[in-house]
Amino acid sequence: MTGADAIALLPLIILAGTSVLAMVGIAVHRSHGFTLGLTLAGLAAAFGSLWIAAPLAPRRVTSLLVIDHYSLFYFGLLIAADFAIALFAYDYLAKRDVNREELYILLLIATTGGAILTASSHFASFFLGLETLSVSLYAMVSYLHLRRQPVEAGIKYLILAAASAAFLLFGMALVYAELGTMEFAGMGQIFFAGHASDTLLVCGLAMIITGVGFKLAVVPFHLWTPDVYEGAPAPVTAFIATVSKGAMFALLLRFFYRSGATNHQILLVFTIIAIASMLAGNLLALLQTNVKRILAYSSIAHMGYLLVAFLASGKLAVEAVTFYLVAYFITTVGAFGVVSALSTHEREAEDIDDYHALFWRRPALAGLFTVMLLSLAGIPVTAGFIGKFYIVAAGAASSIWALVIILVVSSVIGLFYYLRIVAEMYASPEREGLGTRSHVSSPARAVLWALAVLLVWFGIYPEPLLRIIRTVLPT
Amino acid sequence: MNVTAFYIAAAIAMVSTLMVITRKNAVQALLYLALSLISVAVVFYDLGAPFIAALEVIIYAGSIIVLFIFIVMMLNLGKRATEAEGKLLRPRMWIGPAILAAILIAEVAYLLARGNTTAAAANLISPKQVGMALYGPYLIGVELSSLLLMSALVGAYHLGWHKRPKPEAQDVGREYATRIDAGRDSVRVGSDRSAGAA
Repeated sequence: MTGADAIALLPLIILAGTSVLAMVGIAVHRSHGFTLGLTLAGLAAAFGSLWIAAPLAPRRVTSLLVIDHYSLFYFGLLIAADFAIALFAYDYLAKRDVNREELYILLLIATTGGAILTASSHFASFFLGLETLSVSLYAMVSYLHLRRQPVEAGIKYLILAAASAAFLLFGMALVYAELGTMEFAGMGQIFFAGHASDTLLVCGLAMIITGVGFKLAVVPFHLWTPDVYEGAPAPVTAFIATVSKGAMFALLLRFFYRSGATNHQILLVFTIIAIASMLAGNLLALLQTNVKRILAYSSIAHMGYLLVAFLASGKLAVEAVTFYLVAYFITTVGAFGVVSALSTHEREAEDIDDYHALFWRRPALAGLFTVMLLSLAGIPVTAGFIGKFYIVAAGAASSIWALVIILVVSSVIGLFYYLRIVAEMYASPEREGLGTRSHVSSPARAVLWALAVLLVWFGIYPEPLLRIIRTVLPT
Repeated sequence: MNVTAFYIAAAIAMVSTLMVITRKNAVQALLYLALSLISVAVVFYDLGAPFIAALEVIIYAGSIIVLFIFIVMMLNLGKRATEAEGKLLRPRMWIGPAILAAILIAEVAYLLARGNTTAAAANLISPKQVGMALYGPYLIGVELSSLLLMSALVGAYHLGWHKRPKPEAQDVGREYATRIDAGRDSVRVGSDRSAGAA
């Protein structure tokens, strides 16, 4: 490792260093506000250091990591999402009776793990990044450990994540046994050499897909999603839905883009997964009455949409995935931000009745939530619409018509449950609901407004974002 | 590599791991876990990686499992635990692990007596090479592992934390008593609770 390598890794070093600093800070003086400040400062510094690292890109730092514009872009996305989530977590934890400061350490370490995933070009860093993310999430999911539900969710997540990690590891071992390399780029040459139909290799790839599919929560690996979304604290749910899944998707894209397996027969599996996720996610959400569960099923469907873009091979596909992920990040962080803002000391604002006539009590929050839900549904003038449009365009360009048609049909089904929440919020007030008492601090409110503005801005004028995205092809 | 030896050690690893998750007694389960890790070490040795085999024994079977057993036994003072400890000395409790361990010992003795096969000796990896790889091309991996362990540590600390009544906080004896009564994070010997999230 040289000095230039260290500069290229600066965002990661700052993230990891901040987590250590936060830990030492807690040991010396336990203060919620100070820890939050330190976390935000660290995230801001890491975000700023992206521009210091950018001139060096693309650069291979040992065989494990690749710092290119693609990974730097995703670093930025993850760090920005984490920034918003940390602010929401502050409000959320201030109402709770637990040790509050540790969550920020775990957030920072998990973000580092996610960032490693987006930059990894080697099985070793893939697995280590994933485990760093998972282990932090076990504790984050059951953070309110004095209650039953978060602990239950945490144990479910622990067992399933450990089992899927075992699958992933065994798959990696099989691929390594067959190809003799753990670097994604090295695999590409062997794929092209025509060994691609070997049984061991296909088994290994299938097991890797199992591990990846679990983290993305796509059908049929989605069983944990609703329970964990429901049981985890709302800011942590936002983290699972965005940082954890986004990082994994970035890795998936890089893995297949880099190993050149984009025409491999294994992609048929992704076609089936995409169709199942879109349909199952949207259909299962229809009958839910719990907002967090609805968002969980909707996230399954959104991962299905993303897979459509992923399957539409080529440059347009990478752009579509990246744009859609940005829109999805903004929307999901915003939606869970509203949920966590409405949560009170006793409980989460998760029942759909809690949102009854919300507009007449908290017009600003109801309006923000409406924007987020409409973007998730893909209504025009929001970034969600442009994202979906982009995916349909990418799908049409690769003429994968079956997937595109199912995407459109399932989006229409999805409209129902998003609009059901919206209708509930604007109903005339008949009974007393939740949310009259919970307090939202001004920074969190500012972040929510900023997210809404971004959504509409990217929905009307996506050109600046697209210009950046066009430069971030994975190498 | 001796194929028969591999299959015997692998079978012992599988059987003992199965026993880990089906035993109701935590200490007995841990004995099987130690055995499972040692049989994996034998597999490594048989595959021609004696260094990794030694690490497996020293780190996993040695320090980690001993720490586990130590903590499980230490946390559960009281009448119930004493009864459970008495049960441990019955042949029913230790005969299973003992037989499996005896098979492993015989196998290792056989492998040692036969000496290194040429195939194993050819690509023998020395501790120096492992160290060079870890602190050369895989330096980032080492750093990441430390971060991973830190998150596990912070998470375990947080989940193990319980709010205790403030006036008694200075009184060590009282605090200790309440912890045992609450018994929430301790694994009871002889109960059917699992040995914690490791």
